[in-house]
Amino acid sequence: MALFDPKGARAETRQVAGKSVAVLLAPRLVRRGFLHDVFYGLKSLLTGMRVTLPYGLTTSRIVTRQYPENRGTLKMYERYRARLTFIRDGQGRHTCTGCRNCEKACPNGSIIIETAKGAVTGKNEVQRFIWRFDACTFCNLCVYTCPFDALEMKGDFEHAVFDRRLLVYNLNSYAGPHASLWDKVEDEEQRKTLATKISPYDGKVPLAGTSMAGCPARAHGEGGAS
Amino acid sequence: MSVFSPAAVIAAPQVFEVKTLASRAATALPGSLLESALYVLLAVVWIVALLALTGLALIYLERKIAGHFQCRLGPMRVGPHGIFQTVADTIKLLVKEDFVPDGADKVLHVVAPFLALTATILLLVILPLSPILQAADMNIGVVYVTAISGFGVMGILLGGWSSNNKWSMIGAMRAGAQIISYEISATLALLVVVLFAGTLRLSGIVQSQADGWWIWRAHGVGVVAFVIYVIASTAEINRTPFDIPEGESELAAGFHTEYSGIRFAFFFLAEFINMFLVAGFAATFFWGGWMPFHVGGLDGFNSVMDLVPAGAWFAAKTSALVFLVMWFRWTFPRLRVDQMMRLEWKILLPVGFVNLFAAALVVLYGLYFFPGT
Ligand code: SF4
Ligand code: SF4
Repeated sequence: MALFDPKGARAETRQVAGKSVAVLLAPRLVRRGFLHDVFYGLKSLLTGMRVTLPYGLTTSRIVTRQYPENRGTLKMYERYRARLTFIRDGQGRHTCTGCRNCEKACPNGSIIIETAKGAVTGKNEVQRFIWRFDACTFCNLCVYTCPFDALEMKGDFEHAVFDRRLLVYNLNSYAGPHASLWDKVEDEEQRKTLATKISPYDGKVPLAGTSMAGCPARAHGEGGAS
Repeated sequence: MSVFSPAAVIAAPQVFEVKTLASRAATALPGSLLESALYVLLAVVWIVALLALTGLALIYLERKIAGHFQCRLGPMRVGPHGIFQTVADTIKLLVKEDFVPDGADKVLHVVAPFLALTATILLLVILPLSPILQAADMNIGVVYVTAISGFGVMGILLGGWSSNNKWSMIGAMRAGAQIISYEISATLALLVVVLFAGTLRLSGIVQSQADGWWIWRAHGVGVVAFVIYVIASTAEINRTPFDIPEGESELAAGFHTEYSGIRFAFFFLAEFINMFLVAGFAATFFWGGWMPFHVGGLDGFNSVMDLVPAGAWFAAKTSALVFLVMWFRWTFPRLRVDQMMRLEWKILLPVGFVNLFAAALVVLYGLYFFPGT
């Protein structure tokens, strides 16, 4: 039985293709006596047992969380991805310009963006930012793609519903311009007409490939209000 | 009449008189048939209760301990801290469909789990839990233990062969090879204790440790024999690191792949009770069984130790050994088949023989502690 002894590893410099390269030489495999092997084996088994014993005897290392019971104190990790949302400023305004980069990046057509020319601003404004929770794989590509940092993934995860259609969200709570366009409009009265409030479930959105009354089926990845 | 004196009571070491249920039945027989039958009934109830309760407790413990070793909690939902989890699982297994696969050897497939469980029950009968809690005792106890624990492999072999499934077949063949190989080393280790105790009777072996347990009274050879016995018997009951017959990664579930419902439960129960038995026998042979911790000659100290009842000593020792075996399971990686065979034939067997020879010399020259008694 040959044994590998990591302490016997040797560092040296060798010439490889004219360059000197630092290498770590593994020691030769040594054949030692029968008794040595038996005792070495027993010793390493005991080492393993010493490592695992504290895990078996104490409760402090347990990572399991008792979910419904600890609901009040549960905090999800910062990077946990469960729900796509718009990043909003203090007045509830988002920064999405409706550029559709996220829609194109989404590998499974979970994002559908409807835009229209704003009457006051004359620019593209998001009418509805439809996110298909039921199709999303939480790959986060939309968040990485967005050039305006309009999207983020939130950690809240209790989204069970009894009707699949409830999993299709509008991310924007108003149809209207993004934050910086908003600031360019100076007239107070005009500002008031900029946005129309919409709810997360406003308007009809078909599920994958199907149609609903008043809303024809859309092809994969096809968006727009047209 | 002497005045009661606590000092006198403590100074006189307790004499343990072994009364098995079988011997009570035999004594009662000439006088009253009914009394004798009652003792037999008591023995049967005792064995069944031991089987069921130990099984439930061990399976629960195993899952809890497994959980903690893996940074989990284990069962938590059924009852406080999941204590009714195994009860629920048992009920589930009982109401499950009892399935015999197409092309299986029906009779053998049905019989196999019962054979495995029979071997386990036969061993439970002879396990000395305390001077009064032992169903039967016999003068060839060690031979009986060795023979019956080898018999358990029949159930596994038949189960694997009759299932008409390649995984079952390979698993059963591995189990056969493994159990029969390690049987030899386990027996060699037990023979060391037989040499010291001078008897094959289990209660006699326990009583021979009244001056001290063999693990330290027989010093070197005792410790080596104990280590060999623990390794070999872990292999005999197919537990990690020797769970090759049911290696999930390569054999689905090994010999019980095709079993479900109550007959799977029998295999499972037999496996867990075997773990209890192995711990119990290791305690009996090396740690004094139900014998309290005695040091020959220190009568005062021994009497204090006698205050703890014999059954409690057995329970404590067996629990410690059961924990050790579970600890093994959640620490060691599984061996390969060839490594397992090499460990037995090239390491344990030679070491066991040398140890037995050394033990014979130690006994011959009385080189162990308190040889006179
Ligand atoms: S996370 Fe991935 S799948 Fe979900 S909407 Fe964004 S890009 Fe599409
Ligand atoms: S969320 Fe970002 S990428 Fe998507 S349409 Fe709006 S600005 Fe463009």
